[in-house]
Amino acid sequence: MRKFFPVDSLARDSRFNQITMRQSQADPRTVLVGTDAKQRPNSNRLTPQRPDASDRARGLMHGIFVGEIQALEGAGRTCFDFETGAGDSTDNVPFALKLDMARQAWDEARHVEISVKLSEWMGTEIGQYAENTVLFEAACSTDPVLRLAGVNRALEGLAIDVFTTMKEFGDIAGDPYLEFCEDWMLADEVTHVKMGSDWLRRITENDPERRKKALEFQSVVDKIFSFGGTRSDSDESPIGLARRFRELAGFSDDEVEDIATVSLAALEERKAFAARARADAVDQFSAS
Amino acid sequence: MTVTVAPQEFKFVQFDAAHIARIGEQLTQLLAIDRPVHIEVDETTPLGRVAVELGDTITVRVQSGAFEDSRKPREQSEANTSVNLGRALLRARDRLQGGFGEAPADSDLSLRQVAAWETYCVGRLARLGLQVNEQRWRYNFRNRHGFSDVSDIAFDQIWASDGLTWGELEAISTAGAEGAAEGATRP
Repeated sequence: MRKFFPVDSLARDSRFNQITMRQSQADPRTVLVGTDAKQRPNSNRLTPQRPDASDRARGLMHGIFVGEIQALEGAGRTCFDFETGAGDSTDNVPFALKLDMARQAWDEARHVEISVKLSEWMGTEIGQYAENTVLFEAACSTDPVLRLAGVNRALEGLAIDVFTTMKEFGDIAGDPYLEFCEDWMLADEVTHVKMGSDWLRRITENDPERRKKALEFQSVVDKIFSFGGTRSDSDESPIGLARRFRELAGFSDDEVEDIATVSLAALEERKAFAARARADAVDQFSAS
Repeated sequence: MTVTVAPQEFKFVQFDAAHIARIGEQLTQLLAIDRPVHIEVDETTPLGRVAVELGDTITVRVQSGAFEDSRKPREQSEANTSVNLGRALLRARDRLQGGFGEAPADSDLSLRQVAAWETYCVGRLARLGLQVNEQRWRYNFRNRHGFSDVSDIAFDQIWASDGLTWGELEAISTAGAEGAAEGATRP
């Protein structure tokens, strides 16, 4: 079986349309900037009070669904891509880490099934929204420690924020299934983040340089996973930062503050990028 | 009836004004709309709101997300264009044909009232042969009326109805929401 599977070879049927983060970010349309401030909503946070709440929730649920597929694929690859060993170099990992990744793959498979059922409940078809493949890209690193930092700490950390937002949405809207399912999946994500944090510390205990590199990678992934401002403490972001659950997952206060800062920076960068993309689109149109 | 579209060329999305106009013409015929329709697309936002202004011409103001293919961002979806334009035109027709004189202005409708009216419009569009996902609209209705058997009964009644007045629509919707509030929760 092939090792180190590239993102463009992920197995999907014809229902899915995959897009990259670059394609997603190239969209000059945004609610964050624009000439008419009155047309912009006061808050972009996903709550049932939004007029488009149902459709936004359905879109986010589909994003969770494809994210779970990619998380399953990533955890599965980590079980297989590396030899079993002491974890003292980039080509091997301890057997117990593989067991944790196998357990995570099992959890993610269950989450995929739950997400499919929730999507049906909400009136969404499989593949109805574009699949952003950025999540699996973080699971393609050749260093397992970077995968733990990028996937378990950054990606699963984002999952904590997303599930918390969706759970609150279900609670306020009175949707018993959504709230219940998100709560159960949230509990698993807290465990996945903790597994990543524990293994990161253990494997790099005597290798501060490797730990530093992994944490830098995590910071980069955190910024990317902020989806250009989709997740931050600001009401301009649809998804908030779930500080309490992050604390339970083993993030220190300083780490949570760092993520909050990075996320806000990503939001500001997204606004600046959108403003530039708008200007470019107008220029290109005028020149044609 | 004539259908005009603005802008004629799009900068931010790959929409086709002529295609939108063709869909609009088919819908005006299908729905027996009695006056010209002007469609204004705001391509600067990915949101999907649709607003209608009534006069000698029906003006439909659409945010680009309403006509977009969610599988292929920035590309146009014929199905979404048809359904979202169709429900706007049906709402306009309801107001113009009578029976909806007591209905508040669009900007004064509550989220519950909007959900009920949308259900009424999309149910009729489904019977006219347009491709819709009933469960999507049921979920929207439940979000505004409560997740209960009583609200589901109200949804089914509205979805299957033709020729309702605003008073009848509002009565079914209110009963659905009150039933949920009384704790008639799903088992």
